[in-house]
Amino acid sequence: MLPDYLTPNKQSLKDHTELRAQTNTSKRVAMLAGNMVTNSQSEKGGVAARVYRGGTYGFASGAEYTPESVKNVLAAATDNAVFMDTRIRKGEPPLPPLPNGKIELCAPIFDDIPQSVLIDYARVLDELIAKKYKNLTSRTIIADVLYKEKLVAVSCGMDSHFFQPRSSVYVWLTSETSDGVPVELFKAFCHVGRFDTFFKEPQELEQEIDNLYKALMDKREGVYANAGLKKCVLHPDLSGMLSHEAVGHTVEADLVLGGSVAGHNLNKQVASELVSMTDFAHTALGKPCPLPVYADDEGTPAEDAILIENGILKGFMHNRESARHFGVKPQGNARAFEFSDEPLIRMRNTAILPGNSKLEDLIASVDDGYYLVKTGNGQADSTGEFMFSVDLGYEIKNGKLGKAIRETTISGVAFEMLKTVDMVSDDMAWEISGYCGKKQVMTTSMGGPALRCDMNIGGR
Amino acid sequence: MKDLAQYALGALKKAGADKASCSISKGRKDEFNIEANKFTLLRTVFTGSLQLKALVGGRKGVVVINKLERENIDEAVTNCIQLAKAAAPDEAEDIAPLVENKDENTRKETDIDGLFSRSKEYLEQIKDEFPKILIDGFSTYSNSGEVVYANSNGVCFSCQKQYYYFNSMFVGKDGEKSSSFNYDGAYLAALDKPFMDAGMHRRLLEEAQGSLNPRMVEEKFTGKIIVTPACDDMLWDTLLGNFLSDRPLIEGTSRWKDALDTAVADKKLCFRAAPSNPLMVAEPFFTPDGFLAQDVDFIKDGVLKSFALSLYGANKVGKPCAKTHASNFEVAAGDASLADMVKNTERGILLNRFSGGSPGASGDVSGVAKNSFLIENGQITDALQETMISFNILEAINNITAISRERVANGVTILPWCCVDGVTVSGK
Repeated sequence: MLPDYLTPNKQSLKDHTELRAQTNTSKRVAMLAGNMVTNSQSEKGGVAARVYRGGTYGFASGAEYTPESVKNVLAAATDNAVFMDTRIRKGEPPLPPLPNGKIELCAPIFDDIPQSVLIDYARVLDELIAKKYKNLTSRTIIADVLYKEKLVAVSCGMDSHFFQPRSSVYVWLTSETSDGVPVELFKAFCHVGRFDTFFKEPQELEQEIDNLYKALMDKREGVYANAGLKKCVLHPDLSGMLSHEAVGHTVEADLVLGGSVAGHNLNKQVASELVSMTDFAHTALGKPCPLPVYADDEGTPAEDAILIENGILKGFMHNRESARHFGVKPQGNARAFEFSDEPLIRMRNTAILPGNSKLEDLIASVDDGYYLVKTGNGQADSTGEFMFSVDLGYEIKNGKLGKAIRETTISGVAFEMLKTVDMVSDDMAWEISGYCGKKQVMTTSMGGPALRCDMNIGGR
Repeated sequence: MKDLAQYALGALKKAGADKASCSISKGRKDEFNIEANKFTLLRTVFTGSLQLKALVGGRKGVVVINKLERENIDEAVTNCIQLAKAAAPDEAEDIAPLVENKDENTRKETDIDGLFSRSKEYLEQIKDEFPKILIDGFSTYSNSGEVVYANSNGVCFSCQKQYYYFNSMFVGKDGEKSSSFNYDGAYLAALDKPFMDAGMHRRLLEEAQGSLNPRMVEEKFTGKIIVTPACDDMLWDTLLGNFLSDRPLIEGTSRWKDALDTAVADKKLCFRAAPSNPLMVAEPFFTPDGFLAQDVDFIKDGVLKSFALSLYGANKVGKPCAKTHASNFEVAAGDASLADMVKNTERGILLNRFSGGSPGASGDVSGVAKNSFLIENGQITDALQETMISFNILEAINNITAISRERVANGVTILPWCCVDGVTVSGK
């Protein structure tokens, strides 16, 4: 556990200052076609200071974490803040104060697992897949853990101690079409907690991998989608991506100030009345969030940020400085990934809220369209235009699922496409396995129900 | 640093490693940030990294830490050996042989005031020359330090260098109208010219400013795309990642796995790693697996000449190790002018950025044409929105109709404009 060398420095702070000690530890084992190609551990830690003066920040970080090194990075960050203030002279006043306090560790720090746990798990799972599924040309298994421990002390606001372990197993299956074209599918299994709490025996994933294999066999016989604007049913995995990429990024206040289309749509109808969306802090719909955040790295206590309510754009996500600019209360979205990173405005647990329909009714209501099930990646734009890759999808013909489709891409303009949402399912799924990229990477979670909407689909 | 590397190697051998390697880096990064056309941050990071690799009976363990004190190294050595002993053996695991050791020191003092001045100048040029451009995020930094690689075969390299980098993310903005964002950047050996003059930066800003009234393609058609150097990831990174590198070759999913010395592309295409080119400024002179980085032809005159295999990948599949920085690639200049390439395009797209799913092993690509323009009857006409393109990348490089004489270097790649026929373009 990180010792607290930060708090003793608080008395000497004159400008708004954040001190952060942090260690990120990761362990990874990868099996590629039966070969153990990765067997590694990484530990990166240190201390950072950020000082706000006159409207700009100075930041410094170093790997050593001792009482002396805290003073050194604080001095270096202060020098940088003075350098900027002297040359830029924005003349901004100090940041508005926040209530002082401390949020103690919300999840206990546990004993680490030995690497052999990951090695054994990956090897057994790899052998199981190799033995059971005959039509594969290759498979990749990754067993992975990431622990983040942070200690934050701020001149004004909420100090915090934070520990978040994420444990994951990733599986790729590869096969070939009858004419020798490779097709692949991927599934991530991810939990917050100690690896062996959730991944006890590889056989426990067998049913899920059966489903993945069956879907891959469907995709092997897949057809190209017919390009154009189509009626689509999005599986919850895709609506999670929609909430994160297509809407979430456009309502991050730094991107709003950088020209995002959301800037002039505040309090306007941007989606159908069936669509509501929130960036949850730590509790969603009465349950703990997948990746809970209780205070951010600027010392702001974390609260939910309501983004869209019944189709109306209600707000943005902020850091302390952008919240002052827009005249609103910050809600704890400023987070840094590594100790050497500065806090940026980041999503936490961003989700479209469930509705009242059933998934099977969404599918049954489509005469000619697509059911889009799995996505690999997505990107959004300042214009609200977005795209997601679709790794698995099916034709819908007369309300019934038809042939699988080959890999394709869907796109649209978020605030136009969301207006076409006319059915929302009553279930919801969260996805926490990925990393969001925005100068730094960040662990985030995204979620949503199934949606019926119009989408532009690529194909031939 | 070399002493520390030798200390770590000695400790690994003493703890039971048959073979071992060690990479150490130490340095300093100074970075300015700009958001929404205003300076926001000066960031200084004192960097350090130690990577240990141990082989025990063909079993591999790798440990990475960022603290370089001997007590930290001792702990990392113990962990690394434990990892190796727990791993599965693999005969393909090895370390580079000793051929020739080398030190290089081209490091210069960081000019922090010069970096600030260039950043300020950039903002002023934006204000004066591009009043409808909003800088969403701009960062520029100096990276200065030393990297050492050593292994138990006696290989020992040391590289001290300093370079600058800038990256700008920008949109065209006029009232409520916004263009798509675009981004561009470059690694620079010196601050001898404005950032604005690097590569095709000015051209991309002009195009973003001219993209405030885009239109969509109203029908589906098959035509040409002229892939600009700014869109470097769509073709070239995909060729490396999906067909030439370790993973697809070890898995056997690379569709070129048996294609060495056969024609895989149009004869106009020469695609090679060129780390020795002085325009490549960011990488050390040696590879992560301990070889002096060599220039390597991947595709020459359309013929597949080499894969981009690491030492492990090469041993695994029984083909030569590339011994190169594959990410330092170039595409040879062609004999067409960019103007003629546009003139010879009856219907197509000038493609500056591609937003799409990562292409799979099949090479099928589909996604949205971003920051791109319609070409009709030999003329660049309108900026595009909501326009999708789809094609197969292996077919596309056989359908190259022209490669430009003009090329753009950004410190890690050197690329021309490349025209590909047979691409499906569709709007709503």
